[in-house]
Amino acid sequence: MSGAPFSADGFRRGMRDGVPLGISIFAYGLGFGLVAAQAGFGIAKAVATSAAIYSGSAQLAAVNLLQTGSATLWALFATILVINARYLLFGAALQPWLWQAGALRAYGSLLLLGDANWMMTMRAIRQGEVDRAYLAGTGAPMLAGWLSGTALGAGAVSILPAPETMGFDLMLPAFATAMTAAMVRQRIDLLPVVVGAAAALALAPVAGPALAIIGAGLAGGAVAAALHRAPDE
Amino acid sequence: MRQLCIGPQMSDGFPVLLLVMAAAAFLCRAAGFTLMRLVPVSARVEAALRATPLAVMAGIAALALAQGGPAEALALGVVVVLTRLIGSDVAAALLGVALVAALRWMGV
Repeated sequence: MSGAPFSADGFRRGMRDGVPLGISIFAYGLGFGLVAAQAGFGIAKAVATSAAIYSGSAQLAAVNLLQTGSATLWALFATILVINARYLLFGAALQPWLWQAGALRAYGSLLLLGDANWMMTMRAIRQGEVDRAYLAGTGAPMLAGWLSGTALGAGAVSILPAPETMGFDLMLPAFATAMTAAMVRQRIDLLPVVVGAAAALALAPVAGPALAIIGAGLAGGAVAAALHRAPDE
Repeated sequence: MRQLCIGPQMSDGFPVLLLVMAAAAFLCRAAGFTLMRLVPVSARVEAALRATPLAVMAGIAALALAQGGPAEALALGVVVVLTRLIGSDVAAALLGVALVAALRWMGV
C-alpha cells in the first residue's frame, strides 16, 4: 500500500515552500497567544492548547467559550467540531493522493494539516507533486511558527499591540485570495470560485461562517461534478 | 452533563479539557480522509475534489469581504493583482496583510 514516494527530499521541498507560511502563522500565533493570555491562560497552557488543537479559529472559539465560565465538555467538543468541520473536506480532497503513502504516514501527515498548507499542497498536487512527504514538510515550519508565536504572544501580552491593528485577522483571507488568483488558470476554474463565494455569502447569515465555508466547498464540488463530462480518455 | 468552571482560578481540569479539544480537532482532520476511502474515486468525484479548494478559498475571501470595509476590499483586490504581477502568492498575501494594517492605521 505504500508505493508512493515519501522521501526526505519531498519533505525538504515542502519545508522550503512552508517557511513563508510558518512566518505568517507565527504572527497569527502571536495573536492567539495574546487572546489566551487575556483569558487567563499562562504561557504553558496557551502553548499546550496550540499543540492540541493546532487551529487558530477553533482555539479562539474554545477560549471564548471557556471564558464564559460554564462551558461543558460537550459544548467544547461540539464547538471545535463545527469550526473545524472544513477539515473533513480537506482530508477527503487529499485522500486519493495521500492514502498511497500508507496509513501511518498519511495519518501522521494529517496531524500537521492546516488551512494554508492544505491549499499549498492541493496546488502542488495539481502541478504534479508526487512525494507524499511534501504535506508534512509544509506543516513542520507552520507548527514551529504556531507554537513559538503562541508562546511569545502569551508572554508578551503587555507590550504587543492588538492583533487587528497588525492585520492578522486578514491573514487567512489574504492567503485564500492569493492562492485562488494563482490557481485560476482557465475560464472553467472560475466556476467553483463563483459558486463557492455565492454559497458562503448565502449561508453565512443563517448557518454562521464555519458552516458557510463547508457549504461553499460542497457546492463548488457538487457543481463541478454535475457539469463533468465523461472525457474521451 | 458535567459543568466545568474554567478560568484563571481553575487548573486541575485542564488536562481533560485539552484531551477533549485534541480529540475533536483530530477527528475533523482524520474523518473526511477515512470516509473518503469508502468512496470509489471516479472522474466525476475527482472533478469535485479538484473544484473544492477553489470553492473553499473563494468562500473564505467572500466572507472577509462581506464582513470588512473598504480597507479589506482594497487589500484583497491588491492581493489578486500582486499575485498575477509578481507570481508569488505567499508574498502577495503578506503584502496584502501589511497593506490592511497600514490602511487601518491611517483610519480607512
